[in-house]
Amino acid sequence: MPDNITLKIDGVDVTVQAGATVMDAARAAGIDIPHLCYDPDLSLPPTSSCRLCLVEVEGARTPVTSCSYAAADGMVVRTDTERIVEMRKMIIELLLSDHPHDCLTCERAGRCELQRYAYELGVQAPPGPTVPPQPVVDGPAVMYDPSKCILCGRCVQVCQDVQLSGAIDYHGRGFDTRIALPPGKTRRESACVECGNCIDVCPTGAMSFPGAERAGRTWELDKIATTCPYCGCGCTLVMHVRDNRIVQVTGDPALGPGKGLLCVKGRFGFDFVSHEARLTEPLIRRNGTLEPAGWDEALDLVADRFGRIKSAFGPDAIGGFASAKCTNEENYIFQKFMRAAIGTNNVDHCARLCHASTVAGLARAFGSGAMTNSIGDFEVADCVFVIGSNTTECHPIIGSAIKRAAVRRGMPLIVADPRAIELTEVAAIHMQQRNGTDVALINAMMHVILSEGLEDKAFIAERTEGFEELAKAVEPYTPELGEKITGVPADDIIRAARIYAQAGAASIVYSMGITQHTTGTDNVLSLANLAMLTGNVGKPGTGVNPLRGQNNVQGACDLGALPNVYPGYQKVDVPEVHAKFEAAWDATLSDKVGLTIVEMIHAMHAGTLKALYVMGENPMLSDPNVNHVEEALKAVDFLVVQDIFLTETAQLADVVLPAMAFAEKVGTFTNTERRIQRLAVVVDPPGSARLDWEITCDLARRMGCEMSYADAAAIEGDIASVSPIYGGITYDRLGEPGSEGLQWPCPDADHPGTPFLHKGAFARGLGKFHPVRFIEAKELPDQEYPILLSTGRILQHFHTGTMSRRSDVLDTLVPAGAIEIHPADAERIGAQDGQMVRVASRRGEIEVAACVTGRVAPGTAFMAFHYNEAPANRLTIDALDPIAKIPEYKVCAVKVEALAAAATAEA
Amino acid sequence: MERLGSIGAFRKWQRELKRALDPKQTLITICGGTGCTAFGAPGVEQAFRDEIASRGLSQSVSVKRTGCHGFCEKGPVVVILPKGIFYPNVQIEDIGRIIDITVTGGKTIKDLLYVDPATGKRIARDHKVPFYARQQRAVFRLNGILDPTDLGDYVARDGYAAAAKALGAMTPEEVIDEVIAAGLRGRGGAGFPAGRKWQLCRQAPGDEKYLICNADEGDPGAFMDRSLLEGTPHAILEGMIIAAYAIGASRGIIYVRAEYPLAVENTKIALADARQAGLLGRDILGTGFDFDITIHKGAGAFVCGEETALIASLADSRGMPRPRPPFPAVRGHHDKPTNINNVETLANVPLIIRKGAAAYAAVGTEGSKGTKIFALAGKVNNTGLVEVPMGATLRQIVFDIGGGIPRGRKFKAAQMGGPSGGCVPAPYLDLPIDYDSLQEIGAIMGSGGLIVMDEATCMVDIARFFTEFVQSESCGKCTPCRVGTKQMLDILTRITEGRGELADIDRLEQLGEMIQQASLCGLGQTAPNPVLSTIRYFRHEYEAHIIEKRCPANACEALITTTCSSACPAHVNVPEYVGLIAEGRFADALNVIRRRNPFASVCGRACDHPCETFCRRGDLDAPVAIRHLKRFATDREKTPAAAPAWRGPRQGRVAIIGSGPTGLTAGYFLACMGRHVRVFEALEVVGGVLAVGIPEYRLPRDVIQRDIDYIRSAGVEIETGRRISSLQELRDEGFEAIFIATGTHQSVTLGIPGEDGDAVLDALKFLRQVNLGELTSLSGTVVVVGGGNAAIDSARTALRLGAEQVTLLYRRGREEMPAIRDEIEDAIVEGVRMHFLAAPTAIETGPDGRCAVTCCRMTLGDADASGRRRPVPVPDSETTVQADHVIVAIGQGPELEFFAENRSDDRLVVANGKWIQTHPVTQRSGAGDVFAGGDVVTGPATIVEAVAAGQKAAVAIDVFLGGKGELPPDTGFAPRTKPDEADADAPRQRIRHAPPGRRRGTFDEVLKGYSLRAARREARRCLRCDLE
Repeated sequence: MPDNITLKIDGVDVTVQAGATVMDAARAAGIDIPHLCYDPDLSLPPTSSCRLCLVEVEGARTPVTSCSYAAADGMVVRTDTERIVEMRKMIIELLLSDHPHDCLTCERAGRCELQRYAYELGVQAPPGPTVPPQPVVDGPAVMYDPSKCILCGRCVQVCQDVQLSGAIDYHGRGFDTRIALPPGKTRRESACVECGNCIDVCPTGAMSFPGAERAGRTWELDKIATTCPYCGCGCTLVMHVRDNRIVQVTGDPALGPGKGLLCVKGRFGFDFVSHEARLTEPLIRRNGTLEPAGWDEALDLVADRFGRIKSAFGPDAIGGFASAKCTNEENYIFQKFMRAAIGTNNVDHCARLCHASTVAGLARAFGSGAMTNSIGDFEVADCVFVIGSNTTECHPIIGSAIKRAAVRRGMPLIVADPRAIELTEVAAIHMQQRNGTDVALINAMMHVILSEGLEDKAFIAERTEGFEELAKAVEPYTPELGEKITGVPADDIIRAARIYAQAGAASIVYSMGITQHTTGTDNVLSLANLAMLTGNVGKPGTGVNPLRGQNNVQGACDLGALPNVYPGYQKVDVPEVHAKFEAAWDATLSDKVGLTIVEMIHAMHAGTLKALYVMGENPMLSDPNVNHVEEALKAVDFLVVQDIFLTETAQLADVVLPAMAFAEKVGTFTNTERRIQRLAVVVDPPGSARLDWEITCDLARRMGCEMSYADAAAIEGDIASVSPIYGGITYDRLGEPGSEGLQWPCPDADHPGTPFLHKGAFARGLGKFHPVRFIEAKELPDQEYPILLSTGRILQHFHTGTMSRRSDVLDTLVPAGAIEIHPADAERIGAQDGQMVRVASRRGEIEVAACVTGRVAPGTAFMAFHYNEAPANRLTIDALDPIAKIPEYKVCAVKVEALAAAATAEA
Repeated sequence: MERLGSIGAFRKWQRELKRALDPKQTLITICGGTGCTAFGAPGVEQAFRDEIASRGLSQSVSVKRTGCHGFCEKGPVVVILPKGIFYPNVQIEDIGRIIDITVTGGKTIKDLLYVDPATGKRIARDHKVPFYARQQRAVFRLNGILDPTDLGDYVARDGYAAAAKALGAMTPEEVIDEVIAAGLRGRGGAGFPAGRKWQLCRQAPGDEKYLICNADEGDPGAFMDRSLLEGTPHAILEGMIIAAYAIGASRGIIYVRAEYPLAVENTKIALADARQAGLLGRDILGTGFDFDITIHKGAGAFVCGEETALIASLADSRGMPRPRPPFPAVRGHHDKPTNINNVETLANVPLIIRKGAAAYAAVGTEGSKGTKIFALAGKVNNTGLVEVPMGATLRQIVFDIGGGIPRGRKFKAAQMGGPSGGCVPAPYLDLPIDYDSLQEIGAIMGSGGLIVMDEATCMVDIARFFTEFVQSESCGKCTPCRVGTKQMLDILTRITEGRGELADIDRLEQLGEMIQQASLCGLGQTAPNPVLSTIRYFRHEYEAHIIEKRCPANACEALITTTCSSACPAHVNVPEYVGLIAEGRFADALNVIRRRNPFASVCGRACDHPCETFCRRGDLDAPVAIRHLKRFATDREKTPAAAPAWRGPRQGRVAIIGSGPTGLTAGYFLACMGRHVRVFEALEVVGGVLAVGIPEYRLPRDVIQRDIDYIRSAGVEIETGRRISSLQELRDEGFEAIFIATGTHQSVTLGIPGEDGDAVLDALKFLRQVNLGELTSLSGTVVVVGGGNAAIDSARTALRLGAEQVTLLYRRGREEMPAIRDEIEDAIVEGVRMHFLAAPTAIETGPDGRCAVTCCRMTLGDADASGRRRPVPVPDSETTVQADHVIVAIGQGPELEFFAENRSDDRLVVANGKWIQTHPVTQRSGAGDVFAGGDVVTGPATIVEAVAAGQKAAVAIDVFLGGKGELPPDTGFAPRTKPDEADADAPRQRIRHAPPGRRRGTFDEVLKGYSLRAARREARRCLRCDLE
């Protein structure tokens, strides 16, 4: 078959690649063939249901649908004969006959494709009774009006074949066919994840966002692309703005790693930006209460108190929490402030609580602590091994990419998770390991690989060191021992090991389930061992891929918001590095590694840390053993919190500084795949809220340290000059906000960025195997606290809820937390589904509703930590991984008691 | 049993089984198909077993439950072998007798035997029953013989021999070549060459391929696939093994609808047995070929006839088609190359391989080979599964096998190919049916659904019915099918409710063509077929609904009151007057009749009573004898009633030319509406054809006179003996409107030599002469030529005048005769000899005045436009008949001269060079003040049609003259009889006839009236549909 074929369309010769459809060829020739059901952006086989794209092909008996018909060499096509035009008109007429003629009030008017073709073809709405609109509002996110539905099936395709939720389908037959949820189920009861992608693909007003009703016609709305503020996927959001208010968010298939797909948070979690509770002016605590103040007064007060504490107790008496929610520029400025203006390395941020073990572990094994490969790699991987990541809820866009690979390509998916998470539905194997036994599980897999000779001997020989020690270390971990420790059947361990080892390109995906353990670093090292053992590093579709939990946790780490490294992971205790930064910043810097978050909490408790500067963090909900945190924060002499809301932490502050939200800023975020992307100014900030970096710079100036930048781009220039991995990053190269940006390492202005790391050589040279021994979690269930509690996130909420709980749609969807307990345990304690229970650990207790589900294993429980009404972190333990200093959120012991029905009713 | 390890082992086993077959064994076979089971076959079978055991006959008599016999409406069907004694509808209480008399006694039990509905004869042997005898059963041949659950039974009858042959001695390519050479086309609908399909799948790259047997059978009327799976499941498995071998498939799936539990059950048993015998699974018969089959029970949807939808359904997705290409042969189930054949196709495969392509292809037509099974249903005497060679005609299926149309109604059309097939009208009755011929005339073979429709079937309504079905079965995916068929349905519904517009027909055609062209799958592409084909062949029915708001088949409820009244051209309120007769209110009854038909007495005798054809009681036993009741009402009238006279001055002068039933009826109603009416009659006698055409023995003169007197009493003036030669002459006399109702009084001539001889009479002239008393005797032998009412009247009149022998020559057969059926029978009873298929070619009058009529033998060819078979002369078949008189009665027309004079100045449009053309509703001609109606417009019609034409004309003329055109109210007499008082058990009351022996030489009336008791009893048989 020739690579190129030439055909004639409407008398024009067009040359296209073999395999192109007639529609593709026509587009190449600049001929627009009307179509309603076909959405090329979905990259799915066409359904050819609307029949609008019919064309005549010479020699064909009947017209053919150009969306599905393959172009062929020498083919002669007419798209505009009288017969074809008449048919199209008739089809539009048919559709209009079963459609409300309500363009005057329909939200879609102006971007409705049916309206467009009716206009272009000059089709009048047929006379006779019109169909009245029949909107079905089923929850706050998606409104469906079957009367406006033309049954093109795009929403079904996106739901079933792209998002893979399979919530909606065609129901009924004949004229009564409808797109609908399964009969008798509400949206919440169905498999719908409220991603709303159906809204974006709908060509008419059938699927819409009820919140945007009468908020503006399409031509009245500015559409501004920016980067999502939620998880680390880094999706591009197109914000529809009118009168300084975000009305709706849509995706754009041309933009972002999700290629236009969004999740429920990205699409619907935007209204916190204009929430009435936004901080609009600085607050100063006077006589125990926070009262409004001017910026000068507030900043002078902070500069004065920091200055006095510094001179009285030394710079290390002050600590700073940077923020994974703030931009790269702001984190850079924040850590520079702490290091240059204050003179301490006591700067950390919540990466400590999520991926400190990743940074520690992968740096040790590979020399770099970031996701090795890219999100797009899941399209080419031959196997994905997901361990300790509830991907579809915590990184929904990546979750659906993995699901697509498994379902559409039949790629074997291995899931290891103590819970039966959504991914297990499409997994080849689900290994339901006991919480905290990952090392044993991975060692057992490696045991199988070695005993069956499945290891990549060449890779081991050429690219790694320390293999012998590893081989020796995993020797005792037979699958049987693995089964004994982890509870996973030995056969499953063997099968999983074989599938992973024998796949051409196998990718490991993990997240907090691996990192948030006292053995977090060991867990990460084990995964690095497994990948190197099978040669699955340094190639497309492979790698060890930690998924970063916050939009800019990668960037905050990259920019040095860590106590041990300057921007670009340059160690503070290496003299040359220290000297370089002293010179660059023109300041005296501490060469002593600073305190981590939990260490700072302990230090506050102990009274050695006197002042704390918190930028966009909320340790009162996010940190383990919150009771202890609260005592620490209360003990500290001076607490400054800079945020967009009066968070639980800000409520304890002496000074509160109002900052801008992501939609008000210029700056960059770095997503989980090391992709640096720009933000756009979408709306104006409320009141006198300021940019975080401006606040910090202002503060620095008031403390006598000159930090002044014209704009964020100037800061980026500063970053590029000190951090080699960002060396080639400029705003010009990153492109417009929302565009794809660049992936670090990008050392110089000509470097194209790095889609996957460790090609040819590891960052540290040879990859290093680390023999790891299995160690139990710190606190295991016992007689008194018989249930093992694990914590994490749910799809609809984010982190401490500061944003998501202030977003109408998200908080309406899941307004309250719950503890997932196994039916057997529920029965034992006498709790029904939905009944309030008291959960207590050695550190605290909370009351929360029970969610009785088989998703968790017997004897275990799970809670999300988003809710201040039931803060899971009152229960968690602050035991730390000795290397990464990450707390063990994933394992602690609790007891659960059913509360009386009255308590439930009250609640 | 042990697994057969080699083909040799299989052959040895087969030989043993064959040897063990005892053709002489007494075997009672009971049909175990779904139909017979529903009728109680399992109970019958158990009773047979019990009785045989209790009589100690278990050693010598066996009982077997077989698959479906196809004659499902006669279930439970029992056949006793070896003689093949056939007992339909067997009840448990019959079993003792059957065993005693037939099984042990060897005799048949007459009252249990099958009665041929066509001849009324009882038939003992199954192969003599026309339903079976005229079929050619190949695929279906074992269905009523085998025990479907017994593998050995199948193997003993050459089962699996074809599979053994293919696997043992043929390469896959050879198998494919053989199937291509056999010309097997897919029996599921589209008729794609099966071998070619296999080849495409074989050639598709991929080492894993699927073979799917489509047993979804979505066409609601078809059940041959179900019957085959129930009756000979192993034949399907064998076909699949061969197909899989040819394609290179290792996995087979039978996609069967879950509503076929017996098919599923029997297939499961067959699969298990075949697997155990080594005919399925790994290394089949030691040939190294691996193949196994699983069953997938589908929910069953019509759209799953579309392969891609079936594949989607197999994957537990919604059954929805996807665009092709890629074709399933390249990407099908699990995206692997997949071949789908339906059950019947696969059942043909073993026949091809076993007997060879040449033997198989010897049956059928050029483009379609082998046999086809049809599911015959609808308005046909015998319904069931019918297997005939490709190329059989619809006539053979419907009439020879199906036994014709019940109640003597006319065949109108057959819906072929299921709900999305098309209708095949009567002119195609003799078309050899195959894939291509059906396609050409707008229908499809489909899976073989064949629904017969008679004259009481409304073609618009049937199109609406099928459209409703396909609309509700549309998967809803593509716009043309989902919305387009809905629009068609809406339009059709409107038309059947009398709310249609003429533009609707165009719109239906536009929509239909667009849906055919633009739909995604076969369902949509064929969905408009019923509509387009009915418009193509029955456009006039659509127009009748739209223009006249009338349903010609009297089926559309919104347009009819009751079927009888609607069927009556004059729309007499039948149920009301029948109800009044039942109550003894005879004068009121007569009054009701006359409100629509002043010729009550005439029609009580000489009407062809279409009301009875459509009477619903006829669906139960026999129609109410409406005509006889009408006669009874008129006979009861002792003092002639006067018509309701117009009070007040008469306005508007109307001239009516012709005093036949049309003219006088028009005059009567116009007079009732206050018009001044004058009727001009050229003859001296009033009544037109009634007086001069119909013999007295059918219609006595005083009866005609009674109606004429009644009409006169309404104020109608009649001027006899005046022939109008110019319309202007009437205008000059002050007539404001003229109604031409001159009828047809000119005979059509034969156009053969010698026709003008003295002894050759024209029937109209002959009858006129007799009726006017100008001819009172006839002697010798008489030959009548023709088959219509005039021919029968002439023949019977000749007998009465004294002819010694009367022979009627008719060029077609008795079935095709247009004369009223009862009249034909009477003629035969009276001694008229009928020579059918004979046409005169020359008449020679000898010197003695006698004629020698040379006749040519005819044979019947293909159907003509009326659906009757065209007579075709048989070469060199001339014979000569001697006769003293020849009466020619082959047709009649109007007297053209009259029109010729007036045509130019009065703008009378004459169609076909013969008939005056008028508006179908107003009967107005091109000349504004001139109306015309009756035979002169339509050609020879019935009396009641003439009355109707007069009635319509009266309304139109009254409106033309400024009136409202209102007929007198035809209701309000309120009979109290209620439907639940209908006499459900009473048989139709017989009427007395004059004994045939006493009819010669007299013109006394043949039919005698009802007695009072009989009349009231008959009237109580009416179901009073009008009160529903």
